[in-house]
Amino acid sequence: MTEGVILETRGLGRAFTGRKPLLGPATVVQAVKDVDLEVRRGETLAIVGESGCGKSTLARVLVRLLAPTVGTVFYEGRDIAKLGGAELRSLRRELQFIFQDPFSSLNPRMTVGALIGEPLKVHGLGNAAARRAKVARLLTRVGLRTGDAARYPHEFSGGQRQRIGIARALASGPKVLVGDEPVSALDVSIQAQVVNILQDLKAEFGLTLIIIAHDLAVIRHMADRVAVMYLGQVVELAPVADLFANPRHPYTEALIASIPLPVVGGRRAQVPLAGDLPDPTDPPKGCRFHTRCPYAIGRCARQVPKLADPWATHQVACHRTDELALTGLTTVAVGRSPEAVARFEMYRAAAAERAGSTGLEISTEE
Amino acid sequence: MNDQPPLLEVRGLSVRIRGAARNLVDEVSLELNAGETLCVVGESGCGKSLTALALMGLLSDPPLQLMGGKALFRGQNLLSLKRHNLQQMRGDQVAMIFQEPMTSLNPSLRIGEQIAETVRRHRGVSTADARARALEMLERVRIPAAGARLDAYPHELSGGMRQRAMIAMALANDPAVLIADEPTTALDVTIQAQILELMRGLLAETGAALILITHDLGVVAEMADRVAVMYAGRIVEVGAARAIFEDPQHPYTIGLMSSMPSFGDSGARLVTIPGVVPSATAMPPGCRFAPRCPFVEDACGAQPAAKAVGSDHMVACVRAPLGVAA
Repeated sequence: MTEGVILETRGLGRAFTGRKPLLGPATVVQAVKDVDLEVRRGETLAIVGESGCGKSTLARVLVRLLAPTVGTVFYEGRDIAKLGGAELRSLRRELQFIFQDPFSSLNPRMTVGALIGEPLKVHGLGNAAARRAKVARLLTRVGLRTGDAARYPHEFSGGQRQRIGIARALASGPKVLVGDEPVSALDVSIQAQVVNILQDLKAEFGLTLIIIAHDLAVIRHMADRVAVMYLGQVVELAPVADLFANPRHPYTEALIASIPLPVVGGRRAQVPLAGDLPDPTDPPKGCRFHTRCPYAIGRCARQVPKLADPWATHQVACHRTDELALTGLTTVAVGRSPEAVARFEMYRAAAAERAGSTGLEISTEE
Repeated sequence: MNDQPPLLEVRGLSVRIRGAARNLVDEVSLELNAGETLCVVGESGCGKSLTALALMGLLSDPPLQLMGGKALFRGQNLLSLKRHNLQQMRGDQVAMIFQEPMTSLNPSLRIGEQIAETVRRHRGVSTADARARALEMLERVRIPAAGARLDAYPHELSGGMRQRAMIAMALANDPAVLIADEPTTALDVTIQAQILELMRGLLAETGAALILITHDLGVVAEMADRVAVMYAGRIVEVGAARAIFEDPQHPYTIGLMSSMPSFGDSGARLVTIPGVVPSATAMPPGCRFAPRCPFVEDACGAQPAAKAVGSDHMVACVRAPLGVAA
């Protein structure tokens, strides 16, 4: 284990096998294949990719909600598959998961207090009175009221339910928080509230965050490093600013170019990527991206590119990366008049002042 | 603004749940000019989809009830058409694209049959001609191997291909007005880019006007000629796309734009809109944004009238034009 690495995977793979048909072999999907990843203590690592790229499977394997079919996950140097008894319970306490859908991930028949108190109870942390006090603190911490402990999940909006999910994940005192699309089901104004909460909590509790997301704007905002996945494999891994400014994998370039920017006249000249995601049960040979890659050459169809130099800060799995000059994010500023800019500033100040006085938004100061 | 009368003019459209105290869509007025793209943007529950469904005569009544309003299109009021006339209009001169093509296409009919059906229904052409038109449409939406895909079932196509098939069906009868409700929301970002590009091309080709309903300001900026911002059932700001993005005046529009993570300043705290969207049963009186508005004042207890703040720019806020306090 390298210094400062909290979670590490080696040759990680997870396959799903379908039911065997009458004739022929069962279909197998390699949802995650050959992933070597290091998560550093205290960082926010984002895993990005389109649907079916294996990012959610990877997240679940990382916290042992799913077992890998091959490879190993090390948490603080220990192989998590080999943990049992007290060690497994402590792993469960230290690695927590926030689910995408706050509607289906909270038991509708439990009160919010019981939901948040459950991890404390399971792990035997404190007596009933201490647990109630902790639940109240957690509720306040995520911007809900202590009285909300007696209510049920259906009484809350999506954003509030996601806060409940976060409070529940925090209850056992985790070191690593894995969020599977934690804000994608939320409206943009509510999403901003939850993103702020996650960032505040990360700083306060010294958490390591792993965020699975498809929204590149959210990732650009939250992440320190980004891993880009395509059809089960990590194709590029880099510090966030570097990845957006100088993508080195053609798929990353295409993802960045596909973002619709909220700037009138900021429209790109052409569509960055043709075609659909290939059938994951029958991924292309060689580089899995070669069927859609505008730069593919003969070699790409035959030979699997490896993430070059696993110790480099910017890793990329592409045969042609050194010869390509790829385009990063070109931010076009919105052409606002000084009056309009001042209006935005006025909103920012007024909203912050109001949030402070009503407690609707948690404050940054401790 | 031009002097041509608008192609579609909506006045005072209101929808509510039967028995409810307040409207879910409240006095919505919109103008759609020939050939333009009007984006209706807002968060979930703002009434943007209900507005579209009301225009298409697709409100499920009960529980929903049309409370009033007009939608004038080529001299007819879409909202008062008899069932027969509405069916003549729908899918022909006015067509709709839904968010999730998997649930809006018939899973037990082949793609080609579904497109041909709308052609036969409105054009009265032969089965062979309708099928030929279906093939032509699949080619126009650039579905690869269109001939073979005519006989595919919806589940055999990818999400992006299904949405292309939906677009082919909607455009099969050369509608003058197309209404698209979150057409790319269920798609991945690279596929979304393809579909938006396709829609832009087809609109330019056919001259159809589009009402595009979306929550994504990025999509709005790429597609819109004009923008209507909705909040809690009302239009709070409407105008030319450039005016809305570069000179927004309504506190909600400003808040919405501020709360998007920008690609500029990573790590900084996001500006938020405090609180939550009011529920359908608890719409506030007066300005519906007032409970969340950082600039709220006493006058906000009454419903604000729409004020012009530019040549094609209206804002429904008592503070408009929003100036910086000295």
